[in-house]
Amino acid sequence: MVESKLMTLEEAVSTYVNDGDIVGIGGLSFWRKAISACREIIRQNKKDLTVCTFVGGIDVDMLIAGRCISEVKSCFVGMEIFGMAPHYRKAVESGSIKISEESEATIGLGLRASYLKVPFMPLKGIIGTDMPKVRKDIKQIEDPLGSGTQIMAVPKIDLDVAILHVPYADEFGNGNIPGAVWMDADMAKTAKKTIIICEKLVETEDIRYLPGKAQLPMQTTNAVVKKPFGAHPTSCYPFYTFDPLHIQCYLKTNFEEYKKKFITNKTAAQYLEEAGGVQTIYNILL
Amino acid sequence: MSEYSKDYTVDELMTVLMAREVRNDDVMIVGVATPMVWAAFTLAKVTHAPDAIYHYIMGNTFVMEPRQVSLLYLEMNTARAYRLQDSVECTLESLPSDKLTTIEFFRPAQIDRYGNTNNICIGDWDKPKIRLPGAAGILDFSMFYARGSFLYTPRHDTRTFVEKLDFISGVGFPDGKPSICGGSGPQCVITNLAYLDFDDDTKSMRLGSLHPGVNLETLKDSTGFELIIPNKLKETGPPTVSEITLLREKVDPLNIRKLEVLSGKEREELLNKVIEIELRRENKYPKLLV
Repeated sequence: MVESKLMTLEEAVSTYVNDGDIVGIGGLSFWRKAISACREIIRQNKKDLTVCTFVGGIDVDMLIAGRCISEVKSCFVGMEIFGMAPHYRKAVESGSIKISEESEATIGLGLRASYLKVPFMPLKGIIGTDMPKVRKDIKQIEDPLGSGTQIMAVPKIDLDVAILHVPYADEFGNGNIPGAVWMDADMAKTAKKTIIICEKLVETEDIRYLPGKAQLPMQTTNAVVKKPFGAHPTSCYPFYTFDPLHIQCYLKTNFEEYKKKFITNKTAAQYLEEAGGVQTIYNILL
Repeated sequence: MSEYSKDYTVDELMTVLMAREVRNDDVMIVGVATPMVWAAFTLAKVTHAPDAIYHYIMGNTFVMEPRQVSLLYLEMNTARAYRLQDSVECTLESLPSDKLTTIEFFRPAQIDRYGNTNNICIGDWDKPKIRLPGAAGILDFSMFYARGSFLYTPRHDTRTFVEKLDFISGVGFPDGKPSICGGSGPQCVITNLAYLDFDDDTKSMRLGSLHPGVNLETLKDSTGFELIIPNKLKETGPPTVSEITLLREKVDPLNIRKLEVLSGKEREELLNKVIEIELRRENKYPKLLV
């Protein structure tokens, strides 16, 4: 008998996210980000996390504002058309967090190196940029097989925990993403522990009929959490798009006030109510 | 030959010039939060390049159909109508290929005479005056394209066009030489003042044509290094009436591309207007243009 991995968000974060962990967050900028988990991490006051995400947005910015992060590994952190990520920018400029400068490929190949159990992956890119000057752990080498080609050795990225928001999952941890998967599947394969947060809990049989089936297979999953609108204010295709009004509200509000209104002691339902309730849900539903 | 438009804005001129760079057999990369690039590629699709294919970073998908530019629903456009989808591996493995992707427009925060670019920081990396969002895939792929890379900026000034970059995050012609990774290097820089290209021998930036109404002194004063100025000055061919009509009425009627050009209050007002109209829409799928 396969056991259910269903638990509350509170349980999942307190069990699998530890101070000092390297945490992978799935999605991309404003799209399919595990924001409910970011709020829970702030509520539980986790410290010294290194966050690794392909493209960071409000997730990274909020965790910095909540003082949970000491290092960021990402190739871009911004608020898309809404401008720069304010707390990220301030933290980097004041030197209060560490940056590991990344590109799309150093993250993609780094995660792949980790699950292939090799110390590095070769990349024919970056050569000629200043990135190696600020990443002493990346090295230009000559093809060891003798072609004479110059390549970059990109180190592996080992994640302690991956936190992925998906539209569909079963209670055993099979996750399905009908839209873009980005780094999520690689993160699930790499991380020591994986938390999947889903919009809709379905039967295993339903996963078989969804396009892409179980891109996140159950054996890599440790916890399944059901949290409708849990990606809000980012998107979750095919259910809803990102909430531009809430993102504007986030950018205009002092973080302590924001935290009081939307994060501290708030249940998921209270959060949605504060964020505009039914009208907001109507706004963003596709 | 269609007649030239007499009434167009600078964002429209830039979008049209960017569209004209597209060939019918191109595969066009559309990134995130670059509505001007999306508008330009879509304009190309509905004019001279109907067979060009979109490659959306947003979904790692190849898409044939042109759709109206949207702020809130880009993901639906890319996830729904996909031809190929394979997590990020598609991006990692296909960008350096000469077949799977052929044309990409980069928007640099700083650019030097050899087309090297910076999107990482202003000031020292260790203690930046301004930390920019980042260079994402430009670091990996700027030096790869067989057809070269294409650059644009609506901010032609001495803060953008600099003698020395604060950080090299995109490779042009390093020290005037082709990149060791191959690729044809930067082909052009389309700005609010001029169309710039690169000298065949020195690989240094050169004035291709001045936009109508811009004088040479303004251009020189707005560039932080010495441009190569040809003996015979050329004027940029303005948009045609048909290009402008298509852009305004079909491709981008909400003027989302203008968000890349405007600043301050004007920009915020447009942003709010676009959000209001798009949220009200019953059918969220960006309008099909075929």
